[in-house]
Amino acid sequence: MKEIKLKVNHKDYHVAIEEDMRLLDLLRNRLNLTGTKEGCGEGECGACTVIMDGITVNSCMVMAFQAENREIFTIEGLEKGGRLDPIQQAFLDEGAVQCGFCTPGMVLSAKALLDKNPKPTREEIREGISGNLCRCTGYNKIVDAIEKASEYRKEE
Amino acid sequence: MKLHVVGQNNMRVDAAAKVTGKALYPEDVSLEGMFIGKTLRSHKPHACITIDTSRAEAMEGVVKVLTYKDVPHNHYGVLMKDHEVFCSEKVRRIGDPIAFVVAVDEEVASKALAKIKVEYRELKAVFDPEVAMHQDAPKLHGESNIVYHYKLRQGDIEKGLEESAVVVENTYVTPMVDHVFLQPEAGVAHMEKDTIVVTTATQYPHFDQLEIAEALEVEKEKVKVINAAVGGAFGGREDITLQIHLALATKLTGKPVKAVYSREESFIAHAKRHAMVMTYKTGADEEGKLKAMEARIIGDTGAYASWAINIMRKAGVHATGPYEIPNVKVDSYAVYTNNPFGGAMRGFGATQPPIAHEQQMDMLAEALNIDPISIRLTNAFKIGSKTATGQILKDSVPLRQCIEAVAEKLGFSVVSRGV
Repeated sequence: MKEIKLKVNHKDYHVAIEEDMRLLDLLRNRLNLTGTKEGCGEGECGACTVIMDGITVNSCMVMAFQAENREIFTIEGLEKGGRLDPIQQAFLDEGAVQCGFCTPGMVLSAKALLDKNPKPTREEIREGISGNLCRCTGYNKIVDAIEKASEYRKEE
Repeated sequence: MKLHVVGQNNMRVDAAAKVTGKALYPEDVSLEGMFIGKTLRSHKPHACITIDTSRAEAMEGVVKVLTYKDVPHNHYGVLMKDHEVFCSEKVRRIGDPIAFVVAVDEEVASKALAKIKVEYRELKAVFDPEVAMHQDAPKLHGESNIVYHYKLRQGDIEKGLEESAVVVENTYVTPMVDHVFLQPEAGVAHMEKDTIVVTTATQYPHFDQLEIAEALEVEKEKVKVINAAVGGAFGGREDITLQIHLALATKLTGKPVKAVYSREESFIAHAKRHAMVMTYKTGADEEGKLKAMEARIIGDTGAYASWAINIMRKAGVHATGPYEIPNVKVDSYAVYTNNPFGGAMRGFGATQPPIAHEQQMDMLAEALNIDPISIRLTNAFKIGSKTATGQILKDSVPLRQCIEAVAEKLGFSVVSRGV
């Protein structure tokens, strides 16, 4: 057992973890943030993507102790005052959500991209979500949504 | 008539929950005091087995180890009841479920799996469906490995081939394919008084309810299946995986029981798209008009039938492709082997034959020095066409427009020859 401090979705946590615990398990099982999904457990599918200090990581490939003193964003941290983040809204408006299992990771990859590059080309968007697999949509609607999200964020 | 749904963009009812991470997939459901279940699976493709669970059951934290002895009616399956809930005497593929450990947590459950002793007496296995069709091949179930034979006869195939200016004959193979739905199988079962409640992600909740009730020999009304958010399926959630295991575990322990498969276990647990071997003989006259088509399609359904009958029938019905052919002979088969079992997957048997019939069209076109677009337009179904199975197509056959639109976008100039 080890005690760590970290910030998740603007909130400070002080939690006891096991040494072999993954960040994914910390989020899902300890903090009950089940919006982060496990699709493969080996860093291939991106369903467990979260943002750690501004960079997307596969939370199945990060140990919980590595999150010590870090700032994490999960899908639960995106809404502001009950209002959807523009990226979430764009995913809805463009019909980019089907089974939804890849969606949290996709949205967070989109956020990390748009935070750095507010007006990406479609090619840059594809690059930005290249670590996230989707088996339903064929990706086009997701790329459309991220393009639209870029416009929404400009308007805000 | 103004349509309110068709042609309109509508928001999915569950999209907002999914985009905020609030949608609950079965692995997101946790119940107070629940146990964790893990499945022991066969490492051999074909073997007689004896099982000793005593060392696992003696472990601290192990609540119960379920085997075939615990299942009142140890059979299930969508069309043929050829699956056992847990293998009793024989395993027929790598991945067949043998036992289900119910323990206080995942760590104990995993350790307990390693303590179950399974003795395998290996049997000769068969992995090639063509070999499996022979009478002297190792048998999976009963007397023959041929589960199903679909026959289609139209016109006179010999005459049609004789009258053809060109005949092309080839064999095509397609591999098994996994759905890789992004959410691996998961579920939680609990008791609501004397009703068994199974929360899972399924394509077939009503049938799951029936199969659980039959296996447990309880009334259907005493089984409730709740479909949580389904993280993709594509046919891969039509067969039962963990539903009966969980239902039985909660019934026997009285406590909630949860199971979540890893990606690796998911691959092993559920059905695959049927691998097919398709031998085609197609003949056309000098103008490219199809005269005859003979096809023999062998579908590898692996260790269990699942939807093989419907799938191989569909493969046979679609064997001609969307073309008018006066003389047709099709034989399609579903065959048991010791491979992973074949089942529903996007297209349900209609996906594989185009690999064969479209390549045949291209090769006929090449042999006749006709362009590949023209030969298709010459033979394409249109309103009033009669299919090889005798169906008259009465309306909505926009194939020609589709081919023409594709040709135009490709910048392909069609050399019309008797079209």
